[in-house]
Amino acid sequence: MLALEDIRYSKNSNDIVKGVSMKFERGGVFGIIGNNGVGKSTIGYIIMGLSEYKPTSGRIILSGEDITNLDVTNRAKKGISLLWQEPARFEGLSIKDYLTLNKKIDIKSVEEALDMVNLEPKLYLNRLVDKKLSGGERKKVELASCMLLKPKYIVLDEPDSGIDIMSLDMIVKIIHYFQDNNTGVILITHRKEIAKECEYSYLLCNGKIFLEGKSDKIIKYYEKTCDSCGHINYAEEK
Amino acid sequence: MDVVKGYEKEFNQLVETYEKNTHDKSLLNPSIANIIVSGNKVVGLNNTPGFRISSKTRGDGFVIIDVNIEDNTKMLMPVHLCTGFLEKKGEQLLKFNYNIGENVKVKFKSHCILTNVEKLHHYMTSDMYIGKNSHVEYEDEHFHDEKGGVFVETLTYAKLDENSYFKTKFYETKTRVGRINVLLDLDLGNYAKADLESKIYGQKDDIIDIKEIMRLNGKHSSGIAKSTVFATDATKAHVINEAYGNAAYAKGHIECNEIVKGHDMSVSTVPVLKVQNEKAELTHEASVGRIKQDQIEILMSKGLAEDEATALIVNGLLS
Ligand SMILES: Nc1ncnc2c1ncn2[C@@H]1O[C@H](COP(=O)(O)OP(=O)(O)OP(=O)(O)O)[C@@H](O)[C@H]1O
Ligand SMILES: [Mg+2]
Repeated sequence: MLALEDIRYSKNSNDIVKGVSMKFERGGVFGIIGNNGVGKSTIGYIIMGLSEYKPTSGRIILSGEDITNLDVTNRAKKGISLLWQEPARFEGLSIKDYLTLNKKIDIKSVEEALDMVNLEPKLYLNRLVDKKLSGGERKKVELASCMLLKPKYIVLDEPDSGIDIMSLDMIVKIIHYFQDNNTGVILITHRKEIAKECEYSYLLCNGKIFLEGKSDKIIKYYEKTCDSCGHINYAEEK
Repeated sequence: MDVVKGYEKEFNQLVETYEKNTHDKSLLNPSIANIIVSGNKVVGLNNTPGFRISSKTRGDGFVIIDVNIEDNTKMLMPVHLCTGFLEKKGEQLLKFNYNIGENVKVKFKSHCILTNVEKLHHYMTSDMYIGKNSHVEYEDEHFHDEKGGVFVETLTYAKLDENSYFKTKFYETKTRVGRINVLLDLDLGNYAKADLESKIYGQKDDIIDIKEIMRLNGKHSSGIAKSTVFATDATKAHVINEAYGNAAYAKGHIECNEIVKGHDMSVSTVPVLKVQNEKAELTHEASVGRIKQDQIEILMSKGLAEDEATALIVNGLLS
């Protein structure tokens, strides 16, 4: 199990995450939903352990071990990874070198992963992971990369953003692929077609969990209320 | 291939070092034009139809090399300019005069093999004229001694006639720099186009100076000058990019990225843009600083250590 225990995070004296506790299991699909700016990506970064996102208080527990103070590399080695909402670009680095991580992963698996994200390996292996890739292509390359890592837990931060509607089925397929490989999927999304894959979801509002439970209930509530809310301090007033 | 009598040993030694460093075995192919200079002596050269290279050593020690290419010559294989220095100490002084005719297509591959010297001043100045509609590429790759005793100065002045194209790549990324001073000064005529790229990896107490100047004197002339420096340890790097828009529809872009690692280095960049025609357009981009944190961390999130992530990013930047 991967658990967040009462995580708080402030930046420049702004409280961005205000006491969040979540639990994830391997092989399950968990949703984090909520409007723009409620703190979804921040929670993803805190799980991954990015240097700018050390929690102000609270603990992160992986299979009974406190990993709150582990850096990104060591969390990755323990099986946690992240699909960035806006993955970085690299000048001069080929998709092949990026996905094989400089020959650490075999090329055959890389080709299979590219096929799964609907990128023809022949056309893409020698292209660069630079600014010339479109937003959707970059995101697909990153999805392939995350699959190749075979993580125990993966945070997918809006895997559908920048990707055409036609590819939604592909993303659903990849979520199932993770599940089949006993990866716990932590899915950040706005899109109903994707959110329906979650069994359990957390609805965030203003840095807090406003509601959690079975996904269909949470999604219904989100659509009915949050879509038209625009009231970012709802959680505090409640 | 003419190998100068008495210098067979030096010739072979340079060819061998070249092949070892580049894994390129084409240097002795008879259909490839080339010149091989050891110290202040030309030890071998090969001409091909339309392409003539000749040399003499001047009283002051300069090796003067004249390169003439006839109009309409299309060189299918790159011309190799191979300069090396096999003694421990000294000075190597070279002056190239290029006269490139109209409608020529040529690519030069220049290699400086200075891997076994203790203290050397390698000074090379080139004057190049590129005729109308010609397409010229010039790739310069350097291999220096690891102890840092090499001081390379390479000064290139090129005049690009109408609708010609000049592309340069200057790479010193595989071995120690020592001290390097690169100057490229281009005068572009109507519709001429230039694409300049330099990539340098500084370590220990290397000193790097780059100056690239594009004088966009012809209407519709255009150019891009891009420098990338990776400065580690106590490297000092200074990059100056200048672009002058002196004619209508001239278009220039200069870009300098200096990536630093460590505490003792010092890097700087100065862009100069000057427009003297209201229809000219110049832009610049510059960045000086560490590798971006999100680039490092995305690779760390795949299990790479910070150093491995840095190496992968830098390899890409300098490739
Ligand atoms: N470095 C920072 N300094 C100050 N505030 C920040 C910083 N980074 C993020 N924030 C703020 O924290 C809040 C949460 O941001 P976050 O990116 O986690 O939102 P999100 O839920 O992922 O939104 P979106 O749906 O737009 O991706 C936002 O209000 C944002 O403006
Ligand atoms: Mg976000």
